[in-house]
Amino acid sequence: MTVARHLMAKEWSALGASILAGLVVLSLMSPAFLTEFNLYVMLRSFCVVLVVAFAQMLTLGVGQLNLSIGALGGLVAIAVGGVMEKLGFPIGLAVVLGLLIGAGGGLANGLLTVRTGINGFIITLATASVFAGINLGVTRSIPFYNLPPAFVAFGTERFFAVPYLLAPPLVVAAALGFFLARTVPGRYLLAVGGNPQAAELSGIPRDRTIVFAHTLSGLLAAVAAILAVAQLGSAQPTIGADWLIISFAAPIIGGAALTGGHISVAATSLAVVLIVLIQNGMVLAKVDPYWVQFLLGALILAAVGLNRLRAVHAETA
Amino acid sequence: MTRSVPAGVESFRSWLLEQSNLLSLAAIVGLLWAVFTALAPGFVSSFNLFAISRSVAIDIVIAFSTMVVLATGGMNLAIGSIGVCSVMLVGYLMQAHGLPVPLALAAGLVLGALLGFANGATIVLTGVNSFIITLASASLFAGGMLILTKATIYNGIPREIASFGRMRWGFVSPLLLIALAIGAWLLVLFRYTALGREILASGANPRAAELSGVPVGRVTVIVHALSGLLAASAGLMVMTWLGAAMPSVGQDWLLPSFLAPVLGGTLLAGGMVSVVGTVLGALLVTTIRSGLLILQVGNFWLQLFLGLVLLVAVMLDRYRGLYAERRGLERSP
Repeated sequence: MTVARHLMAKEWSALGASILAGLVVLSLMSPAFLTEFNLYVMLRSFCVVLVVAFAQMLTLGVGQLNLSIGALGGLVAIAVGGVMEKLGFPIGLAVVLGLLIGAGGGLANGLLTVRTGINGFIITLATASVFAGINLGVTRSIPFYNLPPAFVAFGTERFFAVPYLLAPPLVVAAALGFFLARTVPGRYLLAVGGNPQAAELSGIPRDRTIVFAHTLSGLLAAVAAILAVAQLGSAQPTIGADWLIISFAAPIIGGAALTGGHISVAATSLAVVLIVLIQNGMVLAKVDPYWVQFLLGALILAAVGLNRLRAVHAETA
Repeated sequence: MTRSVPAGVESFRSWLLEQSNLLSLAAIVGLLWAVFTALAPGFVSSFNLFAISRSVAIDIVIAFSTMVVLATGGMNLAIGSIGVCSVMLVGYLMQAHGLPVPLALAAGLVLGALLGFANGATIVLTGVNSFIITLASASLFAGGMLILTKATIYNGIPREIASFGRMRWGFVSPLLLIALAIGAWLLVLFRYTALGREILASGANPRAAELSGVPVGRVTVIVHALSGLLAASAGLMVMTWLGAAMPSVGQDWLLPSFLAPVLGGTLLAGGMVSVVGTVLGALLVTTIRSGLLILQVGNFWLQLFLGLVLLVAVMLDRYRGLYAERRGLERSP
C-alpha cells in the first residue's frame, strides 16, 4: 500500500510542480496575469473543459472510450438553445431536456457497445457522426442567438474573480469524487475497468456497469454543453467540435490508465488547471493560437512517457 | 446432404460463403446506384462519373492508410494530419523554392513515411496503445504545420498539378488507376509476401507471433510508416484536385478512413484485412456522398447518413455471426 501511495504522491507532484512553475512564470512574464479579470477569464474557461474531461474520464475508468462527447455536446447545445428560442421553453425545462438528450445519447452508446460486442471506438465514431449529422441537418450551421437574459447572465456574472458558472462543475467534481470512492456503482465501475473478468466472477454486472458509465458520460457531455451555451451566450452548432483532444488530454495527463480501473477526479482537475494555464499563457504571450494544439499533443506524449518511465521504475524497484 | 454435391459446386459454395460479405456489399452498392440513377438520371452522367471516380480514388487510399494499421490491431488517428503536412510541404517547396514537381512530390511522400515512422517508433518505445499516441501526434503534426505555414494557402503551384487532377481517361480519372494499383500492390503484399503474413500474424495474436519469431515491434513501425506514406499519397491526390495546397486537407478523413475498411470486413482487432472489401467500402461511401449531393439533400445530412450506415453495418456484422468476428469480440483497443 505504501508503494501505491508513494506513486500516487509522485503523480500529484509532477502536475502540482508544473502548475506552480506555470503560475510563477506567467505572473513574472505578464502583469496582466494576476488581475481579477484575467483570473475570472481563466476560471470561466476552466468550467467547460473540466466537465468535458470528466465525461471522458468515466468511460476511460471502465476501460472504454467515447469519441462522441463533442458531437453529443453540440446536439444538446442546439437542442437547449432551440427550444428556448423557438418554442419559448422556460430555462429549467430546457436544461432538463438537454440533460435527458445527453443521458439518452450515452445510454445508446452503452447499449450498442454491450449488445453488439463491437468495440466502443467504432460505435462512438458512428454515433458521433449521427449526432453531428442531426445537429447540422437541423440547424444548417445557424446558431440560436436569442436566449433568455437570465440564462446568458448566469454565464457572465461573477463574484469578484469567481464566475457563477464555476458552481455546477464544482458540484459535479464533488459528486463524482464521492460516487467513485464511496458508492457501490462507483466501485463497480472501477472494478470492471480494472479487471473485467475478475469483476464478472465476483458477481458484478459487467454489461450494466459499462452501459451506466456511458450514460453518465453522455449526461456530463450535456452538462458541459449547457455550460458552454451559457458561457458563449448563444447556442452555436460548433460547440463540442474541438473537445476530442482535450477530453483525452486531461484524464491522461492526470494519470488515467487507458486500460481502465485507474482514474482520479483530483488529478484530472489539476490537469485541466494546467491546460487552462497553458491556453491563457499563449493568449497573454500573444503567440499563434496554433501553439495550443501543438503543445496539447506534446503534453499528452510527455505524460505518456512519464507514466511509462514510472512503470519501468516501479518494476525494477 | 452436402456429400452428394460435386466437389466443384461444394468449393464454389464455400467460396460464396467466404465472400458473402463482399457480395452483399457489392449488392448494396449496385442497389444504391440503381436507386440514385432512377431518382436522378444525372447520377450516371459522364461528368458525375468522372467526379465519382476521382473522389472514390481518394477515399480508397485514405481507407488503405487506416487498413494497414488495423491489420496489426492498431489504429492511426493521425492520417489526416500526416496528409496535410505532406501537402503543405509539397506546396511550399514548389511555390517558395520552385522545386521540380516530381522532386517535391517525392519529398512529400518521404515526409509522410517519416511521420508515420515516428508514430510507430513512439508506440513501440512507450508500449502505449496506438490510439492515444496517434491522437496526440495528430494534434502535434497539425499544430506544427499551422505554426510553420501560418495557415497560408499555396495556390501558386505549377499548373501541371491541377491539369493532372482534371485529366480524364474516358469516364475515369487517372487517380482511380493509381488507387487501384496501390490496392493491387497491397493485395500482393498481404497474400504473398513474408512481411504481409508477419503483419497479419502480429495482429491476430501478438504474443504468439513474437514467440514464433515475428519481430512484432519492427512490423508495427513498418506498418505505421506505410500508413503515413499512404496518407501522404491521399493528401497529394486531394492537392491535384484542388490545384492548391490548403491547410484544410484531411480534416474530414477520420470517419471515412474507418468506415471503408470496417464495412469491407477488416477486423478492428487485427489479423484480417480485405483489400477488395475496403475498395468496395470506399465505393459505398463515395456513392452515398455523391448520391445525396445530386439529390440535393445537401452536405448537412451526409454525416448522419454515413454514421447510420456504419451503425447498421456493424450490427449486420454482429448478426451474421461470422467466426472471425467472434474472435474480435473480447478485445478492445
